Amino acid sequence: MIDQEAVLRRYAQAVEDAHAELTELDQRSGDGDFGDNLRGGLRKAVARFEAGGVSAFEALGEEFLDEVGGTSGPLLGLLFTEIAHALDGRDDDQAAAFGAGAKAGLAAIQRVGEAEVGDRTLVDALAPAVAAIPQGFAAAARAAKVGADHTAELRARMGRASYVGDRVKGEPDPGAVGIALLFWAAATVAEPKAEVDGPLGH
Amino acid sequence: MPLPFHPADGDPVPAALRGFARAHADLVELHEKPAHLVARHRDPGRRVGLVSGGGSGHEPLHAGFLGRGMLDAVAPGKVFASPHNKQVLEASRQAAGPGGVIHVVKNYTGDRINFGIAAERLRLEGIEVRRVLVDDDLATESDETATGRRGTGATVVVEKLLGAAADTGLGIDELADLGARFAAASRSLAVASCAQTSMHTGLPSFQLEADELEYGVGIHGERAQKTIPRPSTEDLIDRMLDEIVAGLPAGPDEVVAVVNGMGGTTPLELYGLHDLVLDGLARRGLAVSGTLVGTLVPALDMAGFSLTLTRMQQSWQEWWAAPAITPAFPRTAKETAR
Repeated sequence: MIDQEAVLRRYAQAVEDAHAELTELDQRSGDGDFGDNLRGGLRKAVARFEAGGVSAFEALGEEFLDEVGGTSGPLLGLLFTEIAHALDGRDDDQAAAFGAGAKAGLAAIQRVGEAEVGDRTLVDALAPAVAAIPQGFAAAARAAKVGADHTAELRARMGRASYVGDRVKGEPDPGAVGIALLFWAAATVAEPKAEVDGPLGH
Repeated sequence: MPLPFHPADGDPVPAALRGFARAHADLVELHEKPAHLVARHRDPGRRVGLVSGGGSGHEPLHAGFLGRGMLDAVAPGKVFASPHNKQVLEASRQAAGPGGVIHVVKNYTGDRINFGIAAERLRLEGIEVRRVLVDDDLATESDETATGRRGTGATVVVEKLLGAAADTGLGIDELADLGARFAAASRSLAVASCAQTSMHTGLPSFQLEADELEYGVGIHGERAQKTIPRPSTEDLIDRMLDEIVAGLPAGPDEVVAVVNGMGGTTPLELYGLHDLVLDGLARRGLAVSGTLVGTLVPALDMAGFSLTLTRMQQSWQEWWAAPAITPAFPRTAKETAR
């Protein structure tokens, strides 16, 4: 049984720690608000969860869909909501449920945003994590980190970064890093002995 | 350039929405948080709700086409900005019929994504959703970009035909397919002789000389890809009709034509243009099922106009002729122009 609250709190702390770096990454490729949007959404989600009546991932989904600006915020909201739905009432095989939710979230994000692997978006971290999660949370976290790191070599085809061409190369996509942080947080909660590295040296 | 008469707080949209709803209280209802408007009346035969929306600055699109025979709810964004997904979600919840809801979306990245996110949320709530994408602007047809043609003036034609088709009780898949066919049968081109007034500076957003014309503008104040020496109005209409007719897919020689003002163009000009358009269509052997003339999809106060042609199938004629009881559709039932 995965402790959703612990994942939310670990993720929120990781984003607090990574905020400056996420902002810097987004200033190179987008409009520089990704760190603020992600941190703001997580702070709101923690407050929403503490107010009661919803699971941690429901709180994440609601806040990111309704209150977070930009395009990536609501797209992340779709992922969180699908995970919340999948986890709801499932306490037998949490990795499988989490994986099913993440898979449904990936599909929703791709239906809406129309990005493929290789376009330099959060899909580059999410797709490999979804593929790896049958092997467990640590495997998914490692796959997400590899995917996020790999975006440093990619030219953007979708999103705001697509306007600046090769100038984004050399640093990873902030959205992909944000996804890798989520899977890192889930792995450290679900498989604390696995000792996985997060993105940005976490 | 005179400053527009907007409220002092700098955001003209909320006041305009309240004023619009109060002017047409018999037809529409405004909900402010999040902003969306809902039609008060719908045909009892309609099983699938129709929702549209997009940036503001294009009035009467979309709220003007709320009502029996056209749209059930709309989500207006800020000026030239797509609505938040939450607005679209709430409008769609209000509008959905037992057969679900169709989103009529103009082809812009922000609109596609925000309507798309709302659609995913509706699916999670168990509401069926389909999207009809309007992409009629020939000026943005290019093999070099993946974004496709912009959605502009054909939106009104699609909303009219789809509204009448929905009132016959068709299901969501049939309607989505029809909507795609209406959009695919439509092409538009727009020109401007003067840019719209910037909301921020009170000055024209770009400069043109009196002997120049911006050829292929969109509806968000963006410049066209080319500035041309200004031809006579007769030659301009000929050139635009040639390009639009060439851009239409094959089909019956029967069209609906829209002469649309961009916000700063007078009825005196628009009706004169309509006269030239009808003559030009007749010379090209095209029969006219109907026309619309007026400021329907402007870009704030841009001086200019757009032309839209939709190639009509025989089976669509009765949908064009059906009543539309909305604040802004020019008439409640059509008489043929032939």
